[in-house]
Amino acid sequence: MTKVYVGMSGGVDSSLTAALLVQQGYEVVGVYMKNWTQDAPGMQCPWAEDLADAKRVAVHLNIPFKVFDFQTEYKQLVVDYMIREYQAGRTPNPDIMCNQEVKFGLFLQAALADGADLIATGHYARSDGSKLLRAANEDKDQTYFLYRVDGSAVAKTIFPIGNYKTKDEVRAKAAEFGLSTASKHDSQGICFIGTVSIRDFLKQYVKTEPGDIVERESGRVLGRHDGALFYTFGQRHGLNVGGGLPYYVVGKDMAKNEVYVSRNLNSQGFWLDEIVVGQLHWINQPPIEGKTYQIRTRHRAPLIDATVSFVQPNQNKVDGEPAVSPDSLVLHLSTPERAVAPGQSVVIYDGDEVLGGGIVV
Amino acid sequence: MIYLDNAAATPMDQRVLTAMMPYFSDEFYNPSAAYLAARRVHDDVATARHSLAKIIGAKSAEIIITAGATESINLALNGVDGAVVTTAIEHDSVLATAKARGGVVLPVNSLGQIDLESLRSAITDQVALVSVGYVNSETGMIQDIRAIADVVQDIRDDRRQRGVERPLYLHTDASQAAGVLDLNVSRLGVDLMTLNAGKCYGPKQVGLLYVRAGIRLKPLIIGGGQEMGLRSGTENVTGIIGFAKAMELAESTRGSEVKRLAALRNQLKSYLVQHIPDIKINENQRRNSPAILNFSVAGVDGERVVFALDERGVQVATGSACAANKGLRSHILVALGLSNAEADGSIRVSMGRFTTSEDIEAASQLIVEVVSEQRKFGVMDA
Repeated sequence: MTKVYVGMSGGVDSSLTAALLVQQGYEVVGVYMKNWTQDAPGMQCPWAEDLADAKRVAVHLNIPFKVFDFQTEYKQLVVDYMIREYQAGRTPNPDIMCNQEVKFGLFLQAALADGADLIATGHYARSDGSKLLRAANEDKDQTYFLYRVDGSAVAKTIFPIGNYKTKDEVRAKAAEFGLSTASKHDSQGICFIGTVSIRDFLKQYVKTEPGDIVERESGRVLGRHDGALFYTFGQRHGLNVGGGLPYYVVGKDMAKNEVYVSRNLNSQGFWLDEIVVGQLHWINQPPIEGKTYQIRTRHRAPLIDATVSFVQPNQNKVDGEPAVSPDSLVLHLSTPERAVAPGQSVVIYDGDEVLGGGIVV
Repeated sequence: MIYLDNAAATPMDQRVLTAMMPYFSDEFYNPSAAYLAARRVHDDVATARHSLAKIIGAKSAEIIITAGATESINLALNGVDGAVVTTAIEHDSVLATAKARGGVVLPVNSLGQIDLESLRSAITDQVALVSVGYVNSETGMIQDIRAIADVVQDIRDDRRQRGVERPLYLHTDASQAAGVLDLNVSRLGVDLMTLNAGKCYGPKQVGLLYVRAGIRLKPLIIGGGQEMGLRSGTENVTGIIGFAKAMELAESTRGSEVKRLAALRNQLKSYLVQHIPDIKINENQRRNSPAILNFSVAGVDGERVVFALDERGVQVATGSACAANKGLRSHILVALGLSNAEADGSIRVSMGRFTTSEDIEAASQLIVEVVSEQRKFGVMDA
């Protein structure tokens, strides 16, 4: 009998995942991954309710239930990474790092070491051997967050709810199984931060200095900010620079601690037909130059046609500027796309298949 | 559903609800207002307070109504000027407050009793308050409050002789004792006592702190000076009325209720001991609440048993409700010297006014069945 370890978060998706696998005749073990969470003042363990919800479902399904403790690793691999990236002026995506390092790294390894043949998660995605495929439901598809996993991990993973079309369908099926999480609300935001804002979270770890908010076109100082790292390219809210038309962040200079804004959405650098990404990751094979692929710059963003060209080491080298890293590539977009903040990911698809992607430099 | 978690919360008695109802709407007045309708509400609150006072052998002016036991405990422990001595099996609100004040936490033996000589030496001249729970919420073990009061009195006498001016008070959290034990503050020998309406068929978020006349506490909440200046804010009229009614009912039926609960507990205990060979009953046979039966089956996951019983229509607890939610081993069971396996495999059954012999008969069988089924899973939490 094939033994499957299911990552159970206490939410409806992973609950149904476990139930479906039991129904399909697998030997299922439920696992709650205890990741790092920040303690709110006076409140010890915000994760406890989720753990209890997951365990209640496991008991209902009459399957074993374990807790894998990844708190230390999660803090180092995901949280510290996120803080470091913000400090460097970039806008990272901790969920992508969590999947790469924790769920399809540590969890997979720990499960296999514990006797699992396969793992399963409640992601809206599908797989075919080592190929990762988009979910049946384009609106729910979560492959944007999964592009940094390895093909070898995909080959060991089942995504039982990747074929579900709507969340209502998932909830209805969960209710049919009598799962107590069937109507549980969806989790929101970055899980380990809880209810505080990312800004308040970062403030505890990073020392920031106030600086100028500068209008790009005029060079006029419009106001002050409390730390350039809190500002993300394209951001509209929270600039506090007076009424009228909204201002957007169109750039920042971490060294000068200046944030550049503009009212003009056609401002220089706001729309791009080329995006350079580095830290490339391919699930199986890299894309080939000249072929048309589809790319996505945000979770749930529409797919855009693009071709790729790899940047060779030392190409375009200009004196005094660092060479473009050899593991970067240029995406040539069929239609201009609103520029993406450095640190964000661009994911490359070949039809249904997720090839991989990279991080905007 | 068979509800056997009365130590966590009790259903409000219909008679309590009926007593409270008029004060939500028709008799909504602020008791401090000058017109007659408000004065009548003021009088009803006074009558209720008097009734609460009478049940514990106190005067009305010694009853401070709070928003529950946690607040009462915070007021008592934070209100004194000096260090706090308490025990390792107290409620989180006691331990957290004591810890914040740099208190001393005394160990207990396997029956939940503190060593009186250790207590004596822990009460240095810096100590202003000793806080010991009357009935342990998890096991039902009863502390000998009177014996502790005698030690406290000895030290008080000694301080007086030596000219040490710091007062020394004894506080007990009697939340689990209402309707089960004698609550007379003079017989107990306590200076401060916490009670909780939500544990005796009254409303939640209503409690009281008995403060013996002459004791000066520092309030947590200041403002209009209500509750003898110790707890400002417009009186919780419905809460006070409901609390008094709940305590009157609990006290008037206490004798017969204790006998009935003891029989139920015995029925449950005998059945479980007979059908679960490796069961361990966590109790103090000589002094235990008749409402609570705590047992351990080493190697079985208590939380799984709770979830599985819930699916079969029986509601029980493992550890204390809070501890289970935190995924932590109960500090109380650990302090009582239970092994990790015994603590993890512990179940608390707490009976109450609405528990019947039929309930216990059905629940006993289901508990035995579920414990046996869940054995195969062992304890798998990391």
